[in-house]
This record gives sequence, structure tokens and C-alpha cells, in this order.
Amino acid sequence: MALLEVRGLRKSFGHGRNRVPAVRGVDLEIAPGETLGLVGESGCGKTTLGRVVVGLQAATEGEIIFDGETLDGKLGKPEYRRRVQMVFQHPSQSLNRRMRVATTLSEPLRLLHASAADQVAERVDVVLRLVGLGPDYLRRTPRQLSGGQQQRIAIARALMPEPDLVVLDEPTSSLDQSVRGRIIALLRSIQDERGVAYLFISHDLSTVRKIADRVAVMYLGRIVEEAPTEQVFEDPQHPYTKALLSAVPSMDLDNRGTRIILEGETPSPSALPQGCSFQDRCPLVHTRCRTEQPTLISLPDGRRVECFAVTSPSQAYEVNP
Amino acid sequence: MSVLGPTSPDGGAQERVEGFIAPEIPGKAYQLPLWRRKPLLIIGLVILGIYVLLAVAGPFFVDDPRVTDPANFYQGPSSDNWFGTDKFGRDVFARAVHAARLDVTIGIVIALSSMVIGSAIGVVSGYFGGWVDEVMMRLTDVVMAFPGFVLALVLVAAIGNSVPNVVIAVSVAYIPYFIRLTRAQVLAERELEYVDGAKLAGNSPLRVAFRHVLPNSMGPSFVQAALVAGWAILTVAGLAFLGVGIRPPTAEWGVMVAEGAPDIITGQWWTALFPGGMIVLAAMAFQFIGDDMGAETL
Amino acid sequence: MSLLEVDGLTVGLERSPHSLLREVGFTVEPGEVMGLVGESGSGKTMASLAIMGLLPSGIEQRGGTVRLEGRDLMDSGTGEIHRTANQMTMIFQDPRSALNPTMRIGRQIARVIETNQNASREKARAAALAALSHVGIPGAKRVFRAYPHQLSGGMCQRVMIAMALACKPRILIADEPTTALDVTIQAQIFDLINDLVQETGCGVLFITHDLGAIAEMCDRVTVLYGGQVMETGSLRGVFTQPLHPYTQFLFDAVEREVDPRVEEKGANFALAGCRFGHRCPYVFEACGQFPPLRTVIEGHRSACFLPEEGRIGAP
Repeated sequence: MALLEVRGLRKSFGHGRNRVPAVRGVDLEIAPGETLGLVGESGCGKTTLGRVVVGLQAATEGEIIFDGETLDGKLGKPEYRRRVQMVFQHPSQSLNRRMRVATTLSEPLRLLHASAADQVAERVDVVLRLVGLGPDYLRRTPRQLSGGQQQRIAIARALMPEPDLVVLDEPTSSLDQSVRGRIIALLRSIQDERGVAYLFISHDLSTVRKIADRVAVMYLGRIVEEAPTEQVFEDPQHPYTKALLSAVPSMDLDNRGTRIILEGETPSPSALPQGCSFQDRCPLVHTRCRTEQPTLISLPDGRRVECFAVTSPSQAYEVNP
Repeated sequence: MSVLGPTSPDGGAQERVEGFIAPEIPGKAYQLPLWRRKPLLIIGLVILGIYVLLAVAGPFFVDDPRVTDPANFYQGPSSDNWFGTDKFGRDVFARAVHAARLDVTIGIVIALSSMVIGSAIGVVSGYFGGWVDEVMMRLTDVVMAFPGFVLALVLVAAIGNSVPNVVIAVSVAYIPYFIRLTRAQVLAERELEYVDGAKLAGNSPLRVAFRHVLPNSMGPSFVQAALVAGWAILTVAGLAFLGVGIRPPTAEWGVMVAEGAPDIITGQWWTALFPGGMIVLAAMAFQFIGDDMGAETL
Repeated sequence: MSLLEVDGLTVGLERSPHSLLREVGFTVEPGEVMGLVGESGSGKTMASLAIMGLLPSGIEQRGGTVRLEGRDLMDSGTGEIHRTANQMTMIFQDPRSALNPTMRIGRQIARVIETNQNASREKARAAALAALSHVGIPGAKRVFRAYPHQLSGGMCQRVMIAMALACKPRILIADEPTTALDVTIQAQIFDLINDLVQETGCGVLFITHDLGAIAEMCDRVTVLYGGQVMETGSLRGVFTQPLHPYTQFLFDAVEREVDPRVEEKGANFALAGCRFGHRCPYVFEACGQFPPLRTVIEGHRSACFLPEEGRIGAP
């Protein structure tokens, strides 16, 4: 059974005419101990989705079912808090700069588990070791840590209540390249050891490839393709996924100039066209795409794609110039 | 992908010192000594230090400020009476020193109490928003529409002349400054990721506001408190000068100036000038400290 | 004769014996994209600022020449570089902060044209509109009347490129032009720059930390480390047969996703010797001196004292 199930999730900001949809109907599942990579470009709603899953924002519509129980309202019950945690994008901002590491780490345990002081100290020590830092860091404040160390502490804080799912929102994108690799390695080793599941949100495809078991590609608030990682990277189906992957600069000199270059820019979420939101940039667009919203359809090999050209290619359609 | 970010070790504090050009740049790590960067702060602190010393130890070394000596009235400054004597023959220096204890204490108490109350209201207002915020903002608008001095004057007149009442009245006049300041700071702070982190760590909304957001929003309030301490001394003395709040025969600078003011015409300048100078200097010291403090010193 | 010839460019802080750039030299040919690659702190931005004559105060140029089509841009009297916008222009990493937020896009471009080409107001307006459509902005008229905050980052970068090209420069310096953009937009901008180079025949100095971007964009590469040119040559030459230990190390680090640092060797070569000395696995006595660029293979130069056999294919 899935650890986390998201059903028909929608989230909009603003009211009336200023209403801007950020997430427009997302279904996804995460199994225990699994890593789902959520990729997309800025403004596609991936961070909002993560924040709704963890309970920092309430969904406008749809259900979040965790371990068989439906999450109600914001933040949920303490039980949910213990089991679903989050690591943020900016390590320099995500720790209280006036709190020592020891306080930051012990807080979740004291507040969520009401643990005794000696138990707390013991667990802080264990988790600090787990993220590769020693007890001499306990008395430091965030300012006395490097970016990578701050992110390790943020990961440790998320792990303190022994969660089953951690939402990682661009955890490496504000870190140096060399530090990035080590944080990814750390996250993998923690997963091996603790069996925690990750929702790994990132715009950086190469990082996602290194850590995710499955990848979901998001475009303008919807998942357009979802499949096991290697399938997505080796054989992408959705035209947007193809363009996204080919746009990443590669060091391969023999494939120079073979990029797919999308026309135009992502349309504003507040003024979406009728039908498929990718229609104006899509090389495969046909008349049906301009009137009807495609849905995620499972292909025989288990992957899910949201594109008429891929899911119902037999239907004759005329390609618009 | 092949992004080559800055290369620096994850494990050490030397992360900022990357490549090895950085260590060669002088002036990056080097800073001028504090007294060169912030001379006013040091001057202010020195003056304040002298006042605190006077307030704490002074009264043990000088005469009783209330003892009159009719034979020795209106004596000019001399080695016996450094600041001269007034019309009742009381030693002006002794009175000024005792007044220092009262005035400096009142200034600091007013600054601290308005800061504590104002920040607490400001953090609730800024963090929770909604109708609480709306009501608090309109209230501060009303209070701030009056000049602080006039408001304090009216309040003291309403609740009666006494030292505690003066403290309450003047504090109320300054609370809105702290509410506004803290609220503005909180509005910026609450958008930072650590606030979400605190929520996920199980903090209740009140705990997030007071334990996480408030301590990170206090920097400007401390600066404001130093300024308010100086203004409060001026306000209290001003009220006393007008005969409101602290009344004779209490040794208080404003009272002394009020009592000594008529003497200037008849030539006894010292009875008003010395306490007046003490007021100016004290207010100036706090102003210097506040002006030069800035967030980085905190 | 090269289009742009930088030779022996040395830059340092005033009143400090240390240099931020040491004898940096490379050339840019017409219609060519020259990549300048290095980690942060390697001096690549400093080099571009020095070439533009835009060194920040407190930093002085100590030596070297910058020649454009054979003419020395250095003022012999003041020792400063003088260039005009029809010689060189620059685009930056954050296009939005490079635009004036209170002025309409069209007016900003027109003003650049007015001042640089002595054009009348109407002419400049027309030229600005043409420049906008030239860089592939759909609905150029709408963008012409827009303010920078109404445009996306990618669109602002297009506007910057339009503005830069409106001056018809011989050299375009692009300092991390797409680092702040999404990859699909980055691909568009790369494509645009390539098209414009082919069309106008101007040279581009393309500064980045991303080796992938270099592989996509450049014809030749110059590798910078510690303010010193380590290696310069054709893209294929440098990528398939890196000569300098640092370059080898760089590629190796990217491939294995490791920290491109090795343990320090203790010796400090920062002042006189090779800047890579304290990290180089092959360091030996000669490295205490400054290594000049030597031609190893035709068109492929490296700054290292090691004999070629020792370097090629190692480690």
C-alpha cells in the first residue's frame, strides 16, 4: 500500500479575478522507503505541492491520504507532524539564527514526542552522527556553520521525530557543486539505513536522476509525465519532458546543436488557454489539444503520460502549423 | 550536468576562503577598531557610564538633598558646594546627583517597559494579522496622532501626580513606536523558512511567534529603546518643569530647573543651569548610543 | 590579426603585492565564441571587467594590453582602458537589475542608440523596435512599451541582448548570461546568441562556470584558475585532450561528481609560482616560478612545466 496518496489536489492563491492556480489537479503516490523526484521549471507549482503535502498550506480541493488516513486541514494532527517532515531550499534561512544547534534539534522531540531530557540528548547525538557531524556542533549557532553544515542540521531536524516521509524542497540548489554531491550521498545513506521515503523537489534534472526511484515532471500545476527514473531520462514520452531533457547542456561534443528548442515562454498561470497548457509551445500540437484538457493515462509499461499525441496516437489528428 | 560551483570544503569553517584569492585580499577580514567605526557610540556609553556611576554610588557621598540651610542660600559654585546652593540653601550638586538616580532609572524603565509591551503587541499583530492587527494599527494611529509629550501630559493629569503614574503615562506614549517597529520586522521575518521549520517541529502558533519570530525581530527595537530612554528623560523633566507628574520638593532635574528658572533673572544662574545641563547630557548620551548602535553591533 | 587580443593582463588591489589576475592572455576571432571557464573566484568576471575598462575602485591594472582589431584600447596617459559601445558591450547574469525599472524598455534601448550612434529620436525609436524583433521577441511592440518588471527573466535577457546589439559591437561579453534562467529558456538564449554571432560576425567572450554550457556554445576555451590562464585551445582539443593538470582535474571532478579540490601540498606558490601548485598532484621544484603559456599542439597552449608525456592521459 502506498505511504502517501494525493488525489485530485488543487491549490489556488488569491480570490475572484486575481485567483491564480498553482496546482491544478495532481494525483500521485509514494511507497514506503521510495524517492519520488518532482521536477519542473520555476513557477510550475512543485514547491506549492510539497508545502501542501507537508501541511504548511491547506489544499483548495482534493485529498491527501497518508498511511490510510486523510489529512484534515492545515498541519494535521501531531501524529502526522511526527511522520511527515520537510527540508527547505535555503539552509541559511531555514534555521533560527538565534538558536543553538542543540535547541533546534531537540525542539521537535520535546514538542512532538514529549520525550524526557536524557532521551532527547541521546537521540540528538545519534541523529547528529547520522548526518555526519560531531557533538562539538551542538553549541554552535547557524552563523558559525557553512552552507553544507547548515543543510545537514536542517536534515537532522527533519529526521529527529523519525518521520516516514521527508519532503525535500530543492535541498541542494543553493549549495556549491561539491557540497551538493555529498548531501545527495548523505540522503541516500539515510534512506538505506532508516527506510524513509522522500519527495525530492528540484529543477535540477541531474540531481534528481542521482537520487530518485521515480520521477514526476510538472508543468503549470499538472504532472505531465511520471515514470521510473531511467525511463524518464532514457526514453521520455511527453514533448515537454523531451524538450526539458534536451535543453540541459551536456559535455558531449558529438551531439552539439541537437537540442529541442521550445518556442515562447511558459504562459502565465492566471491566463491559461483552454485545453492543454503546453499547446502554444508544443511541436506535436493538434486541434484536440486546443479544446480538451488531456489527463494522465497509464501506458502498458506502467508509466503515466498526459498527452493526446502519446496516449491516443491512433486517433487521426491534423497537425496545426 | 556539469555545473562547477565554487569549490569549497563542506567540513570546515574556512568555506568562505575559497580558491585562494580570497585570503590575499586585505580589508575583507580586517575591520577598524570599534571606536574608529562608531565614535559616537563610545562617547555615549562613556557619558552614560558616568551617569550610572553617579546614580548608583553618588547618593552615598553627598548630603541629603532635602536638608535646607537658610543661612547659606544662593551661594555660587565653590569648593564646598560645586553647583552652588539654591534659595533654601540646599546643595544643588547633592540634589542633581540624587535626581540622576531617579531620572536615569525612570528613563530606562520607561524605555524597557514600552519596548516589552510594544514588541509583544507588535509580534501578535504582525504574525497573526487579521482583525487583531487591524484594531491594533488603528489604536496606534490614534495614540500617535498626539505628540508624545501632550499625550503624557493629559494622561498624568488624568491619573494623578506620582512617579509610577508618570512612568505609566510616558510609557503609553512610546508603546506605539515599538508596536510599529516590531510589526514591520515581523512581517519580513515570518516569510523566512525557519518559521515553517518551527511549525513543522511542533511549535504552537504562539510559540512560533514569541520563541522564534520575536527574538529575530528585536534588533531595531533595541536601537529604538536607547533613543526612547533619552526622549523619556526629556519628557519626564519637561512634565516636571510644567508642574505635572513629579512635584517639589523631590530632587528631579525638571523640578530643579523649574524652581531655579526665576533665579536666572536675579543672577543666580547655577540653580537652573546645572540640572538643565545634566538633562541635555543624559538625553544626548542615549541619542548617541541609539544613533550609532545599528543592527550589526547587536 | 585577431579581433580581440588580450595579452599579459595583470590586475591587483592597490597597495598589495598580490595579483587578482596574472598575465592573462587570449584572443577572440571574428564570428567566434570564446569560452572563459573557471570556478568562482578564478577571476573570470574580473578579467571581463578589466577588458571593458570597468574595474571597481581600489583595483588597478598593473600591466598588459587589450587590442581590438590591432588598436590598443589603453590610454597611454592614464593607463585606463577606453572603449565605446560600438566596440564592446556586455550582458550580465541578472538582466533585471541591469535595466532601469522606471523607464519603458523601448525608451531604454532608444537612448542607447541615440547616444552611441548620434541618431535622431525617431530613428532611434525605429531602430530600437527593430532590435527587439530581431532578438525574437514576439509582440515586440508590446514589449517596447513595457517596464522591466512586467517581463520574465528570459525576456529581460533578450532585451539586454537587443540593447547590446543595437550598438553593433565588435565584441559581446556575456557574463553568465543564463545562470538565473530555466533550462528551456537558457536553450533559447544560447540559440539566439549563436544565430546573432553567425549573422553579425561579432566575437563573443562567453563567461561561465558550467562546462556543459561551454560545450554547447563555444568554439574555443580558456581555462582560468586563481587569476591565471591554465590552458587555452579549441573546444575539442581542450575537452578531448586536456593538457594542464588543473583542466584534467576539472573534468575528472565533474565526471566523478567529486570535489575538485585535493589535499593541499603545503607549499605556497601563490605569490610567485603556479597558482595550482598547492593542489597539483605533480608539483615539483620548477612550479615555484610562474609558468608561461606554451604552445603544446598547434593552437593549444598550456601553462605547465611538466613535460607533455607526463600530462597527457594522466592520471
